[in-house]
Amino acid sequence: MGVDDMKSNEIMNKVIRNLILAALALGPAAVLAAPSGQALSFTCAGCHGTDGSSVGPSMPAIAGMDPGVFIDAMKAYREDQRNPTIMNRMAKAYTDEQFKEMAWFFAGQRLRSMPQKHDAALAARGADLHKKHCEKCHEKGGRPGDAGTLAGQWMPYLEYTLGDFLDGKREWPRKMKRKVDAAVAEEGKNALPALIHYYGSQHQ
Amino acid sequence: MPSSIAITRVACLWAVLFSLFIMPAAYAAPEEPAGELMIHSYDPETGKRIIPNERCLTCHGDEKEKTDVRDDGSKVKIFVHRKEIEASVHGKLRCNDCHSTIDRVPHRKAPEVIVGCIDCHKETLEKRKKEPDGKTERLKIVNEQVGNYMQSIHAQPSKLDQSRTNATCYDCHEAHNVGELGSIQRDEKRLKNPEVCGRCHEKQLKAYRTSDHGKAVLEKADSKSAVCSDCHTTHAIDAPETDKAKRAITKNCGDCHKDAQRTYFASYHGQVHRLGYTNTAKCHDCHGSHEIKGPKDPTSEIHANNRLENCKNCHKDANENFLTFWPHGDANDSEKYPGLWTFKIFMQTLIFGVMAFFWVHVLLWLYREVKDRMEGKGFIEDLDKPDVVYFRRFPLVWRWIHGLFAIATMTLILTGTTLLFSHTGWAKAVVAFLGGTEMEGIIHRTAAVIWLTIFLTHLAIAVRNIWRNRSSFEWFGSTSMLPNMKDMRDLRDMFKWFLGRGPRPEFSQWTYWQKFDYWAPFWGATVIGTSGLLLFAPEATAIFLPGWMFNIATLVHAEEALLAAIFLNSVHFFNVHFRPERFPMSTTIFTGVIPIEEFKHDHRIEYERLVASGELEKHLVRRPSRRADLAASFITTVLIMTGLALLTLVLIGLMTSPN
Repeated sequence: MGVDDMKSNEIMNKVIRNLILAALALGPAAVLAAPSGQALSFTCAGCHGTDGSSVGPSMPAIAGMDPGVFIDAMKAYREDQRNPTIMNRMAKAYTDEQFKEMAWFFAGQRLRSMPQKHDAALAARGADLHKKHCEKCHEKGGRPGDAGTLAGQWMPYLEYTLGDFLDGKREWPRKMKRKVDAAVAEEGKNALPALIHYYGSQHQ
Repeated sequence: MPSSIAITRVACLWAVLFSLFIMPAAYAAPEEPAGELMIHSYDPETGKRIIPNERCLTCHGDEKEKTDVRDDGSKVKIFVHRKEIEASVHGKLRCNDCHSTIDRVPHRKAPEVIVGCIDCHKETLEKRKKEPDGKTERLKIVNEQVGNYMQSIHAQPSKLDQSRTNATCYDCHEAHNVGELGSIQRDEKRLKNPEVCGRCHEKQLKAYRTSDHGKAVLEKADSKSAVCSDCHTTHAIDAPETDKAKRAITKNCGDCHKDAQRTYFASYHGQVHRLGYTNTAKCHDCHGSHEIKGPKDPTSEIHANNRLENCKNCHKDANENFLTFWPHGDANDSEKYPGLWTFKIFMQTLIFGVMAFFWVHVLLWLYREVKDRMEGKGFIEDLDKPDVVYFRRFPLVWRWIHGLFAIATMTLILTGTTLLFSHTGWAKAVVAFLGGTEMEGIIHRTAAVIWLTIFLTHLAIAVRNIWRNRSSFEWFGSTSMLPNMKDMRDLRDMFKWFLGRGPRPEFSQWTYWQKFDYWAPFWGATVIGTSGLLLFAPEATAIFLPGWMFNIATLVHAEEALLAAIFLNSVHFFNVHFRPERFPMSTTIFTGVIPIEEFKHDHRIEYERLVASGELEKHLVRRPSRRADLAASFITTVLIMTGLALLTLVLIGLMTSPN
């Protein structure tokens, strides 16, 4: 090994040493930081699907969900103020800050919903009813917003949830009962199925 | 390690590092579908939800559903006119820039209208100041008005509910329809102004509807006629019983009724008002306020049948003669007020004539004496022969009379000219110092009584003296004050001397200018005294004289006083004190004596007569004591300085006079 080789070897070693030092310096910051919203959200994927686009028909899709609505829901579960399946138990494990992290993560996701089997005529009727009674809050046909996500949402989930409202298991949001009553008064018992079929018809 | 391996190692390392940067982008790019994500509805800087106006207008802009039902079942208006707000000065703002408590749509709780305009306007101005544009100046005015509002009665807590102010910005400004200056909204706003104020001030609106202003605005849509804010101001609104409000309203009437205000300020009522006091009649005291109408309307407060009632509000004993007073008498209007105009022309001709003559006299005299002195001529004090012998010129009583007369006259000038020059800052300061216009009135009247008393006392003494000496008194003798032909000749000869065309004339006991100074107060006492007495107690005067006599009296009283003030403090001062032979002053009127040499120089004929008749001895006295001399100098100095100060104030008043 010549003197030159010795020199280049030394330089190489220095480069590697420096890289390792840099990695050591930056590494702990990554290791010690709180888990990111994404990391926290891995837990949700089992039920709500990858990145919140649910594949189980009774499980609401939460991808692209409004962070305000997300946090409200999580807090209500944690405080036992909203009828749960298991979400009350889940929610108790998280802090406000973690709710926020998760909320922002899901707000950054795009909802990818599956096509659902629906009655086109019923869905068309539902479109009318939606426009008349629901659109002002659930704008753009019920796309994700500050009033939740309806468009492309799983139809069984919508049915269960509406049932919860009607059965008094879940508190109506302001004005919603009045609007649902008006839709039912107009369309009779078909009103709610029509709306559900309308929302189910809108996969994206 | 072979160098080739080392090189391969480095290359691999770089390749890995490079791929770390490139690969994620290469994978992510084709997967991103179009359309906004939810996070884009949030402001990346503040993390706050962006609520587009369109979102609000979905409900609030729906013409089919202009009302909603509150949680308690009551109806509530929720409609906002989309086009109005878009055209308004705030058209580019977001709804929740102002409605800052609204952060969720649909509203989770029944929303309250909580809007704070003030901070936003202040902050915007601060930002704009760094990069001023065309709107910055306007925004400054907006902020000034915010300041005015904060000081106003509207910004005070309501007596019925202390948690609220009496009125706030959006109670008057149609929140969604604030137009830029000059815009259609502004004109519309003027026309709506009475209705807006009338929402709270119902009684006033009802009265306003019956008024000439109200009919023009509300019935004929004439936006140039007066609306509430024209009189009450827009933001600096005070309770009408406050002095500030009364002054503002009177000032504001004049914004349209310029002539009426000009003539009002020329009257006693207006002069007092312009000094900042509100105890005299103001526009609304005679014309009424909200129900204001022309003089022909029988329900008008200024209709001939109703006018006296207004006078009686202040002048309890006012009689029919008050009705012939011209509250807006204009001395410049020869067609409408020929009498007043005539008096004004006469008085002004007199003032200009007298002043022009005597100022020419003064200037020529000054020129001659200065020239003589430069040539070593004229009366020059002989330092080797100091004054020891003096000539007694005035007995004690005349000296007292002159002193009191001077003080009374100066007091009258000071207190009187504050009214005449009520537009000046000094007049306001003097009146405030004296304790207000009522106190000033008392001082002026007291000084006037003293003045007249002195005048009459002097007359009595003079008559008594003449009566006592009636056997030997010569009406046109050398010691008589009566003007004679020699005075005319002296006057002519003085002008000749001024121009270097003759010797200085020799005088007897009294020179012609001294006789003029003596007789001028007789004229002054007649004019100022008579007019002053008429104005002294208006109710008493009106028992036997018509109301327009007050107009004439006010005019001549002021003009004659002005003449006296300027004459005494300039011409009289020069003749007695300031001409080079006497400068800086003569104290004879207070010591009563004059150095014999000076007497000989100024009154040679009398001196020679006394020498010839052997009477001189009995008039000669010793030089006054040093203390008497100092006292006389002190008093004279004070009076001269006061007189010059008064002259300055009068000249300031004349030069700044708005009329």
